[in-house]
Amino acid sequence: MTPDPLNRLVAQLAKLPGIGEKTAQRLAFHILRAPGEYAVELSQAIREVKEKVHLCARCYSLTDSELCGFCRDARREEKVLCVVETFADLMALERTREYRGRYHVLHGVLSPLEGVGPEQLRIKELLERLNDGKVEEIILATNPDVEGEATALYLTRLLKPLGLRVSRIAQGLPMGGDLEYADQATLAKALSARREL
Amino acid sequence: MRLLALHVQDFRNLPQVSLAPSPHATIAVGQNGQGKTNLLEALYFLATLKPLRAGRLTELVRWGTQGARVVGRFLLKGAEREIAVEVSGGVRQAFVDGKKASSLEEYFGGVSVVAFTPDDLEVVKGGPDARRTFLDRAVFNRYPAFLKESRDYARALKNRNRLLREGPAAEPAYLDAYDETLAKAGARVYVRRRALMAELAPRAQATFASIGRTPEPAAYGYHPSHLGQDFAEADEAGLVDALLEALAARRKRDLERGFSSVGPHVDDVTVTLGGRSARAYASQGQQRALVLGWKIAEIENLHAAMGFLPLLLLDDVSSELDPERNAYLMSYLASSGAQVFLTTTDATLVRGAAAADTLWVDVHAGQVVPRPADAPA
Repeated sequence: MTPDPLNRLVAQLAKLPGIGEKTAQRLAFHILRAPGEYAVELSQAIREVKEKVHLCARCYSLTDSELCGFCRDARREEKVLCVVETFADLMALERTREYRGRYHVLHGVLSPLEGVGPEQLRIKELLERLNDGKVEEIILATNPDVEGEATALYLTRLLKPLGLRVSRIAQGLPMGGDLEYADQATLAKALSARREL
Repeated sequence: MRLLALHVQDFRNLPQVSLAPSPHATIAVGQNGQGKTNLLEALYFLATLKPLRAGRLTELVRWGTQGARVVGRFLLKGAEREIAVEVSGGVRQAFVDGKKASSLEEYFGGVSVVAFTPDDLEVVKGGPDARRTFLDRAVFNRYPAFLKESRDYARALKNRNRLLREGPAAEPAYLDAYDETLAKAGARVYVRRRALMAELAPRAQATFASIGRTPEPAAYGYHPSHLGQDFAEADEAGLVDALLEALAARRKRDLERGFSSVGPHVDDVTVTLGGRSARAYASQGQQRALVLGWKIAEIENLHAAMGFLPLLLLDDVSSELDPERNAYLMSYLASSGAQVFLTTTDATLVRGAAAADTLWVDVHAGQVVPRPADAPA
């Protein structure tokens, strides 16, 4: 008979993605054995993430204040806006340290099969924030799959008439990757979209 | 490419099979319902990860057991590789040399197989659906990237159809976006099918000329409906535009029906004899010779493109062919040098494909028993 509080913790941990019953048990024992303040800090961190983190009022990335760091940072270019599916995609782009413009997070892609239409995404909000006329170029950085493509095409149709420059991130072989490791569909596409030098 | 050893466990009605196939012909003899086709299907599944006959993966697992497993030791480009596939709980997992194969591409590196079943013989007579499947199997064998490309098209199509079912409420710009997505994916499918047909049709026509015993020439063609005369020359971008136009022209109707009425998913392969539809005018024997011509062309085409012969699986095809065409097929198999797996209820029908190194196996109630080398059929 294991104590109920321990069972409850294991049950909660096992709900996390990628965590099975056994791993949940190991984590629970780890928390139990760790010095007292660890459990307190962990529970506080969990509570705070729910209480304090919300969507940025402008770009819909994550923040703990009214506007996120990307929107508040005056050094970032106002003219360029990069549209991504998720916050995780935004973080991936940030890691490059190349992009100095602003973002807009859609929170999904257009997928009739999943019942996600334009109203379910932050598209209306995107159009509204363009009203101030500061943005000149929009980079569409949705994934290169069927739904990501369709979303990019849909946005293009909305944005082009506004007189904006609309661009799509390039597709093809990963840099520094070996040709031999590329999958056949990617390689076939890269081959057909080859450029003259 | 050569299969050196095959091990099958709990696959359909086969509890356990271990074989060391002949480098040329391996012939399974047995009455109907004993498991001959299951043996071929195990091989087909190993090479393509798809069931040969339509159905769910769970149907591949022998009744009352937890999972099915097929393992093959192949000689691929001079190296021995062990390829395995397991089905358990409705999920399949492939292994290459004992390691989970993370991507299908990795798995399909060098194994290629052409299957030929009595159902295929009906493909001229049957509906366009069967001919598309028949065509796409050949395309996939020739261009591995087609697996993902055709899936992308299917996904785009499902999305668009769902959108159409919303009827007039569907926002036009939203539909436009999916039209374009569908057109781009569809153009890729067109290009693949067209390229395959360009390679295959002349070969198939030549093969038919030598087995058809028919003065009229055969012709195999792929002409997407609604795309007009320019299909043969248009580049991929042109095909995107043409399909977009066709989709736009039919949108009103498609919205009413909740279904996309134009695109690669409704195309057909035309087979004609002396300019007339083989489906309507060719005799049963001629129709089968037309399919035989196609299949042999597919094998030769793969050989020319890849530099090696695919594994050939023939399921009880001889009993469906007249003696003369069967004799042609058997002597083709014997002289091709390919590794062949045949099933038959009557050993005399396939003797033409056999040689001194043929492995004969008897199949009875799920048991597969090799005959001793000194006691041929």
